[in-house]
Amino acid sequence: MRYVATFIFLIVFSSSLLAQMQRQRAVKDGPVDDIFRIGSLIGMSTVVNLEARNLNSLITHNFGLVSSGIEEFYGLDQNAAVRLGFDYGVTDKLTIGIGRTSVEDNVDFRAKFIVLEQLKSDKIPVQVAIKGDVGINTQKNTQFDDFTFQERLNYFVSIMVARKINKQLSLQIAPMISHFNTVKIEQAGVIPENTHYGIGLGGRYAFDERKAITFEYLPVIGERSPGTKNHFAIGYEIETGGHVFQMFFMSGKWFTEQHLLARTNTDFFAGDFRLGFNINRVFGL
Amino acid sequence: MKKLFTLLIALVLFSPLHAQSFFAEDGEAVFISKVPLHTFEGSSQNLVGLINLDENILDFYLDLETLDTGNGKRDRDMKLTLETEEFPFAEFYGTLESPVDLNNSEPQPAVAKGTFKIHGKQQEVEIEGTLQPTSEGILLKANWILNLNDYNIEPPSLLIIKVDENQEINIEILLKPYSEDQ
Repeated sequence: MRYVATFIFLIVFSSSLLAQMQRQRAVKDGPVDDIFRIGSLIGMSTVVNLEARNLNSLITHNFGLVSSGIEEFYGLDQNAAVRLGFDYGVTDKLTIGIGRTSVEDNVDFRAKFIVLEQLKSDKIPVQVAIKGDVGINTQKNTQFDDFTFQERLNYFVSIMVARKINKQLSLQIAPMISHFNTVKIEQAGVIPENTHYGIGLGGRYAFDERKAITFEYLPVIGERSPGTKNHFAIGYEIETGGHVFQMFFMSGKWFTEQHLLARTNTDFFAGDFRLGFNINRVFGL
Repeated sequence: MKKLFTLLIALVLFSPLHAQSFFAEDGEAVFISKVPLHTFEGSSQNLVGLINLDENILDFYLDLETLDTGNGKRDRDMKLTLETEEFPFAEFYGTLESPVDLNNSEPQPAVAKGTFKIHGKQQEVEIEGTLQPTSEGILLKANWILNLNDYNIEPPSLLIIKVDENQEINIEILLKPYSEDQ
């Protein structure tokens, strides 16, 4: 009887060895996906970069102030400000880009580099990226005709630190500096600041895989030019295959962060905000 | 002594160490997606496969997070569509329905029947391909059509145009002789 039991045991045991292989993940650890969906929340850059050899075309619009009322169809009758830009992933960690904003014909060149990636294992709990942007005011009119190339330049640099808290929520903090070689004296006796310091705060809350709300707040820290307000924006993000649409209300009319920080002159919380939208389209090259 | 001998004989008879098995974990899997006027591919080099010719068993799986379409955003969309966090693997487990002549180095038609599982759903499938004995092992090639709806996968959209629910799948893997103690 014991032999029979032994044989049965061996048959069962050996059969079990013919069962399925144990499934093992090929990627045991790695960067956290989708800290943010795309390289910018609304106007503020995120720690997310394009992957190598990917191109993102980004069209950004905003209109006049909603507070202009029905006569101006809540700002839509006013001229839209537009930035058309392209960003390219040189490597998975380095993205470069160029864009042109219709306001002051500002052409900007930018680069973003991911220094640290948040890991699924939490061995690195945050993602860190640095960004630089150099803009050139190319406007030709009497106001700028006498400016030299050097005088037309504006700059931005930021260190972004973000964490995907959970599947829904990601938050970012970004100390930043904006500098304009030339500033315009609007008020006699008051010298505007060439340099502004700020702390960008941003976040994204995903309702599901496709939809999310986003916000960004860029308070100026320290001295600021007369009339400069803290930029704020809140948006709704929809993703379809290949596209990310961002519809938002924002305070300023600018799109580059050096302008958002230093030259926003309307106060969102006083009811002075405008409708805008971004269209992102990523291509693999 | 007699009992010990009997046990040893039994162990030898049932030990998988003597099974004629072939294994690899660097096979290629490719899917081809179509929308009107546009086609794109995704591929992975992490296909894991085991063939046991004694038992005619085939066991394959792929970590879906290793699929790469060449577009990071599209990769993330694909992972969301396949819900890879919850269902990380595409798997096939079944039997080889046709014999393989290991002394014939020509590609030999092969049919496998079994269960294909992805996105938490499974279907009984029959897959045709070829098996080709080589100096290194056995080269397996197969292709079939995977219908996304059969596995409760909502075909993603490019703008408002949905990706074709039928996805062409191609696999190629060189399986090498393998024993359980490796």
